[in-house]
Amino acid sequence: MENSRILPEFDLLLPASVAEAVKMLSVYKDKASVMAGGTDIIVSATQGFVSPYVISMAKIKELDYITFDKATGLRIGAMTTLQKIADSPVVQKEYPALCKSAAINGTGQTRNMGTAVGNIMRASPSGDCACAVLALGGTLVLQSAAGTREVSVDEFFIGYKKTARKPDELAVELKLPPPATASKSAFNRITRTTLDLSKVNCAVSLQMKGETCTQARIAMGAVAPTTLRLKKSEELLKGQKITDELLKKVAASVAGQIVPIDDVRSTAEYRKDVSGVILKRTIQTALAQ
Amino acid sequence: MTKHPITLYINGQEFNVFVSGHHTLVQVIRDQLNLTEVKVCCGRGECGACSVLVDDSSEPSGRKVIDACLALAAAYDGRKITTSFGLAKDGVLNPVQQAFVEESAVQCGFCTPGMVVKGTAILERNPKATEDEIRFGLEGNICRCTGYVKIVDAVQKARDAMSANK
Repeated sequence: MENSRILPEFDLLLPASVAEAVKMLSVYKDKASVMAGGTDIIVSATQGFVSPYVISMAKIKELDYITFDKATGLRIGAMTTLQKIADSPVVQKEYPALCKSAAINGTGQTRNMGTAVGNIMRASPSGDCACAVLALGGTLVLQSAAGTREVSVDEFFIGYKKTARKPDELAVELKLPPPATASKSAFNRITRTTLDLSKVNCAVSLQMKGETCTQARIAMGAVAPTTLRLKKSEELLKGQKITDELLKKVAASVAGQIVPIDDVRSTAEYRKDVSGVILKRTIQTALAQ
Repeated sequence: MTKHPITLYINGQEFNVFVSGHHTLVQVIRDQLNLTEVKVCCGRGECGACSVLVDDSSEPSGRKVIDACLALAAAYDGRKITTSFGLAKDGVLNPVQQAFVEESAVQCGFCTPGMVVKGTAILERNPKATEDEIRFGLEGNICRCTGYVKIVDAVQKARDAMSANK
């Protein structure tokens, strides 16, 4: 694989506002890639993969925010860095799964550059924020010249590195629903070294009534072409008291729902073996909070 | 290809240059401005040799650490940047640099500019960083010589020196 520190040539566009960026996208469409922090796009470019136009959002100041409202939930702007998300007291308190997925993402340097929305737009099956957001039930806000639309994260990942975003749309915001009373969430992953992309990652969001789980959302990454919901495992938890016995059953249900591959980070066999354990531990982490 | 006229404020000095869109910040700093204390190694945000501080008003210290190899220079137009050279004031090393000298936390020296920038960033964010927090913080800066022990010792020494001077 070609790997150069001198990037291939492309034209860089630096819109100063969302309106300007959307106008550019309506012209260049799939000839342009949109860049937030650059931590994915520049790495791809070093390997020769780059579009003729790169639209950097670096000058768009209006997209750097985190807001929270108990009734409507969390809103994160597309230019909010992973570090700011990890540092945010409200994210730490109300959305532990998202907090952890941002706090362990990459390195101190890349967390100061990369964004959660960028991690989701990349739609890598091993994306850590993508996994957390799938468990938390988020929504992506997409803007184009035609207007704004919202897409649930459940419908967003349509294939390997493919999303429901149309080429003329700009992802401007990530929305998470308000956490229900007594809801708990956690994120967990395994890597060889801490800088690696995940071999397997997992996030859970549980609504509890005493020791009984009333609702569950479970997401797992790096085990299929997209980050997956593990709906069969969710069904096993729903309405049940979470006991060690049940957790064993839930762990055993994972292997049949995933289709992992052998790659540079791990093997399909190992991923099948370890995924149930990861899920069990992630649930235990969530319950311990 | 469009050329972008940009201004960078590096270590307090103003530089006006023309760059292409695909030029990275580290490429411009090294090849156009000849500030070769910023090293370039992996070119993909893994090793931290190119670590520099850039202004960020939301940080208590007013700056944060990034990998200059993943930054496009034109996107950093107008920003204030600090390299390892800029950490020293009037020929006096900053506490992290001084501790690297005293602890002999340097072997071949190639990672050192990035390491002292990163060590400074860690302590600016968390002046009371524990050894574990320092080790976690140093993830993203690779040293192939020392085994990190002296580097971690040096950052801890700098932490203690800084809190003693307060």
